[in-house]
Amino acid sequence: MEISTAKNTQINLKPEKGLSPWAIARRKFIKNKLAMTSLIFLIFVTVLSFLAPYITTIDITKINIGSMSLKPSAEHWLGTDKNGRDVFTRLLYGGRVSLLVGISCTLFVILFGTIVGSIAGYFGGIVDSMLMRFTDFVLNFPFLVFVIVLATIFHGKINGLVILILVISLLSWGGVARIVRSKILAEKENEYILAAISIGCSPFKVITKHLLPNVLSTIIVQATILFASMIVAETGLSFLGFGVPSEIPSWGNMLAFANEPDVLQGKPWIWIPPALAITLTILSINFVGEGLKDALNPRSRR
Amino acid sequence: MLKYSLRRILGMIPMLFLISIVVFSLAKLMPGDSLSGEIDPNNTDPAYIEEMREKLGYNDPVHIQYFTWITNFMQGDFGKSTRYKIPASEIIAERLPNTIFLGFSSILITYVLAFIMGIYAGRKPYTIGDNAIGTANYIGLALPSFVAGVFAIYFFSFNLGWFPSNGSVDISTTEGTAGYWLSRIHHVFLPALVLGLLSTASYTQFLRNDIIENSRKDFVRTARAKGTPESKIYNQHILRNSIIPLITFLGFDIVALVGGAIITETIFTYPGIGQLFLNSVSQRDYPVLMTLTMMFSFLTLFGNLVADILYGIVDPRIRLD
Repeated sequence: MEISTAKNTQINLKPEKGLSPWAIARRKFIKNKLAMTSLIFLIFVTVLSFLAPYITTIDITKINIGSMSLKPSAEHWLGTDKNGRDVFTRLLYGGRVSLLVGISCTLFVILFGTIVGSIAGYFGGIVDSMLMRFTDFVLNFPFLVFVIVLATIFHGKINGLVILILVISLLSWGGVARIVRSKILAEKENEYILAAISIGCSPFKVITKHLLPNVLSTIIVQATILFASMIVAETGLSFLGFGVPSEIPSWGNMLAFANEPDVLQGKPWIWIPPALAITLTILSINFVGEGLKDALNPRSRR
Repeated sequence: MLKYSLRRILGMIPMLFLISIVVFSLAKLMPGDSLSGEIDPNNTDPAYIEEMREKLGYNDPVHIQYFTWITNFMQGDFGKSTRYKIPASEIIAERLPNTIFLGFSSILITYVLAFIMGIYAGRKPYTIGDNAIGTANYIGLALPSFVAGVFAIYFFSFNLGWFPSNGSVDISTTEGTAGYWLSRIHHVFLPALVLGLLSTASYTQFLRNDIIENSRKDFVRTARAKGTPESKIYNQHILRNSIIPLITFLGFDIVALVGGAIITETIFTYPGIGQLFLNSVSQRDYPVLMTLTMMFSFLTLFGNLVADILYGIVDPRIRLD
C-alpha cells in the first residue's frame, strides 16, 4: 500500500510534457483529410514538374510538322499541339515554370511586405504614416493594367521570366504589409516586448526574435493564399500574351491556344490539360490554406 | 462621417496627381517613339519628321511635355488615337457603354445568385443542398476567370449553342427595338457570369456563414419564443443583419471589375474598354492607352474609397476620424 502510494506520488510529481504550439498545429493538420490529400497532390505535381527532364526525353523545343494536332494515343498520352509538340511533356515543363514563378513571387512579396509592415508597425509615428501612405499608393494601382504596361516596357530587354516575377511582386506586396503591420501593432503592446526593450534589445532583435515569431502563423496563411493568386496572375498574364515569353512553356501559354476558335472547339486535348492543371492546383492550395488556418488557430478544436 | 468622406475625396487629388506622373513616365518608357497620329507614316523624310516632332512638342524637356499633357487632359483633350486617327475620347465613349453594361449585368447576376444560394445554404446548413452549393463555391473560388471563360465558351457556346461566343450584339438587329436589347442581354450573359464568378462564390459563402452565425444569437431565440414564423425570422430578422456587411463589398467589386473586364472582354471578344486597352497596348496607341490607364486608376481609387466609406456607415463602431 505504502509503496504504491509512493509510486503514484512520484508519477504525479513528474511534469507532464506539453506539446509545442507547432506540434499541436501539425497534429491538427495531419488529421484534416482534405488538406492532407491536397498537400500530397501538390507535392506530387511539384515533384513531377521539376523532374520533367528525367521523366520524358521528348524534345519540346522542336517543331514537328509530321505530328501536328494528333489526338491522344499510346505514344502521345495527351496528344500533340498545333506545332507537333507532345502536350503531356509540355504540361510537365509548363508546371515547372508556372510553379516556379508562383513560388518566387510569393517569396518576394512576403519578404518585402513583412519588412515594410513590421518596420511601420514597430516604429509607429512618422515612419508608420510615411510607409503606409506609400503602401496605399501602390495598392491604388489597378494591378493587371500596370503589370501589362510594365511587362510591355521591359519586354525583350531583360530575361522575360525574371522581369515578370519582379513586376508582379512589385505591385502585390501592399496587402501583406498592411496585415503584418496591424498584427505587429497589436503584438507590440504585450509586456514581454517592453521587457525585451528594457533589457536593451535592439529594434532589429525585438522585431526578428520576439515579434515576427508571434505573427508567423498569420504570414504562413497569407503566403498560401498569395501562392494561389500568384499562379493565377502568371497564368492569366501568359494567357493574354503579356506574361511568360511564348517560347517557354507555361500553363498559361498552353491555355492561350484556346484563343484560336478551331483549337477551342475541335481540339480540346490541347487546352483542357493546362486548364485542369491550373484549377486543380489552385483548389488544392486553397484547401491547404484553409487547413493551415484551422491548424494554426489555437481556438479551433477539431 | 461627412467630414471624413470629404477629406477622403480631397485626398484623392494628390493620389491622382502622383498616378498621372507614373502613367506619363511609363508611356515615355514604352518601346517605340510615341509619335502622335498627326505624322504621316508614309512620309519618311527626316526633315519632315523633325519638323513635326518640333511642332508637336516632342523635343521639349520632359517636364514641359508632362505639363502640356496633363493640362490638356484636365480640359478633356485626351489626344488623338494613333491607330484610328480620331480623338481618343471618341473611341472610348463608343466602347464605354458596353463595359458599363457588362459591369452592371455582372453585379446583378452576382447578387441574385449569391442571395438565392447563400440564403438557402444558410437556412439549411449541412444538408445535401448546402454541401452541393459549398462544393460549387470551392470550385468557383479556384477557377480563374480566363479558365472559366474558356470552359463556358466550349460548353455553352460551341457544344450546347445556347449563347453566342463573341460580340456584344447581333448585327442584324436594329438599334432601339426590343430584339436589339434581347440580343444584347443574350450576348452579355455569359461574360457577365464569368466576370462575377469569384464574387458570387465569396458572397455566397459569406452570406451562408453569417446567416448560420446570426441564427444562433439571442434575438433569434427571442423571436422564436414569441412564436414568430420561421420564414419571417429568416427573411426579416436574420437577413437584415446579414445583408449589411455584404454591402461593403461593393467597393471591392468596382476594383475587381477593372481587371476582370480586361480578361473577360478579351476572351469573349466583347467590344468594351478592357479589350480596347489590350489592343492599345499591343498597337502602341499611346493617347488611348494613357487615358484608359488613368481611367482605370481613378476607378480603383474610387472603389477603395467607396469600400472605406460604406464600411464606416455600416459599422458605426469603426471610428474613421
